[in-house]
Amino acid sequence: MSVLTGVAWGQWVSSIFLLVLGLVLGSLAARSVSRFMAERSTRHHTVMLRRFVFYVIVLLFAIAALREAGFSLDVVLGAAGILTVAIGFASQTSASNMISGLFLLVEKPFEIGDFIEVDATLGEVVGIDMLSVKLRTPDNLYVRIPNETLIKTRVVNRSRFPIRRLDLTVGIAYAEDVERVEALLLGLAEKNPVCLEEPKPFVLVTAFGPSSVDLQFSFWVPKDKVLDGRSSIMVAIKKALDREGIEIPFPHTSIYAGSHSEPFRVQLLGPETLSNKEPLDVDKDR
Amino acid sequence: MESKTEGRRDGVWAQPYTLASGQTQSHQLGHVNLWVTLLDREWQIRSETVELDIDPVSWTETVGHTLPSKEMSLQRFIRAEGADTVTFIPAVGSLPTVVRPYQPLTIPAGEQCVIYVGTLVWMNVCVGDARTMLTEIPLAVPSLTWVGRNTMEGELCYSSASVARLVLEAVPKRPWRAVTPVTIINRREEPLLLERFSLPTPMLSLHLNERGQLWTPGVTVECETDMNSASLHVDQTVFAAAGKCQQVGPAREKVARGRFVRAFDRMFG
Repeated sequence: MSVLTGVAWGQWVSSIFLLVLGLVLGSLAARSVSRFMAERSTRHHTVMLRRFVFYVIVLLFAIAALREAGFSLDVVLGAAGILTVAIGFASQTSASNMISGLFLLVEKPFEIGDFIEVDATLGEVVGIDMLSVKLRTPDNLYVRIPNETLIKTRVVNRSRFPIRRLDLTVGIAYAEDVERVEALLLGLAEKNPVCLEEPKPFVLVTAFGPSSVDLQFSFWVPKDKVLDGRSSIMVAIKKALDREGIEIPFPHTSIYAGSHSEPFRVQLLGPETLSNKEPLDVDKDR
Repeated sequence: MESKTEGRRDGVWAQPYTLASGQTQSHQLGHVNLWVTLLDREWQIRSETVELDIDPVSWTETVGHTLPSKEMSLQRFIRAEGADTVTFIPAVGSLPTVVRPYQPLTIPAGEQCVIYVGTLVWMNVCVGDARTMLTEIPLAVPSLTWVGRNTMEGELCYSSASVARLVLEAVPKRPWRAVTPVTIINRREEPLLLERFSLPTPMLSLHLNERGQLWTPGVTVECETDMNSASLHVDQTVFAAAGKCQQVGPAREKVARGRFVRAFDRMFG
């Protein structure tokens, strides 16, 4: 009973009240800042400032709460200094991620809302936090990538610049007139509203492939119309080549049945033999 | 301005049309066919873009009870009680327009000229006395282009090939395009080759004259030393040759200083 009466309940209640007040005020201030910044700044900066305001207010109230509870701040900081060494060893990964997060904030290779590619993961940045970056993939998966990984690995930001170049490979048969196809492709880019007039689209012959002459058709599109641009121009290419009678060859595969097997019978049939030709192998057994 | 021939009339900007329930008003304007239908509780808007070899110069409007084919894309809007008028308000493009003369034009040192440029107009379909906007339709498919020093720094713009006419009478007056007189003053000691220039269309307001033509205030570009230091000025009033005008569409953007500097930084690409 004396233990209970010996505790300074008033101080503890005050400090808890201060802590709760700090959380509430921090939350309210963060929301106000978020609303104020929403139309004046990017999503990235809004989120950063919102978090900063929240943590600063909560920290101030937490210090006040500790003082109210009777803790001397010097002692707390001293204890924290000693603990830092112990905690540092125990939480190397977390510390590494936190420091990497700071570098990411300073270097700013991407912002919230950007579309990035990390290793084989592609997605929109939905959060940059203390320990990790969160992505939303095009098939709506939530991916968490530790900040340390982002510092170490290659990150491709696909939406940093307002326009992007799309390179399509178009294979045409060896018999086709390359210059005619080139003019046809450039005409398609000119007609398609998604393709930019400047920088100009161009066509390159890149390879004499095993079954086709390979052309690279490059054109520029606004960053938010990449999928639309790629798809619509590919449909247009297929239609235009079909309409003009230009063949898009596909790889031809010959089947060798092995040395012990009977070779396939190959026979050229003239028009006069077409009417009384022999039955096909597959029809023999019927 | 309105001429009635077999139910067809000339379409008019910024004039309220009253429809009865079940009626469909159809428009042929620019490269767009548009149908606006009034029903008891809703507005229906259908539109299609048509590919034409030549640019149409007229705007025809008819009213009937026939709907276009079901394949047409349909937009439905809730209709407020008593709102039975539809008004078509023109709007300038939301991006600057790069005007590219078919043949480059040379302005000798110390000379100046006025070029009449036609830019594409968007149609805002507004209903009711409050002119509540339902949708916005470009009256032709706008092409896009990029203007900037490189592919990192610059700005997306609409593109418009132009004859760059120097005589006002020769400028075709199409109801789906707005005419902007651009005065270019070359104060340099070298000739200025005008291959393309960026017109800050979002900063221009739209004005309708008595002949039903759309005009924007004139733009003056002055080149003193080099192209990048060209200064740009948007007139407060419409060109006198346009005649008596009333403003029908506001500018999308106010002429802010920062934006202004960017505009003439990239005036000539």
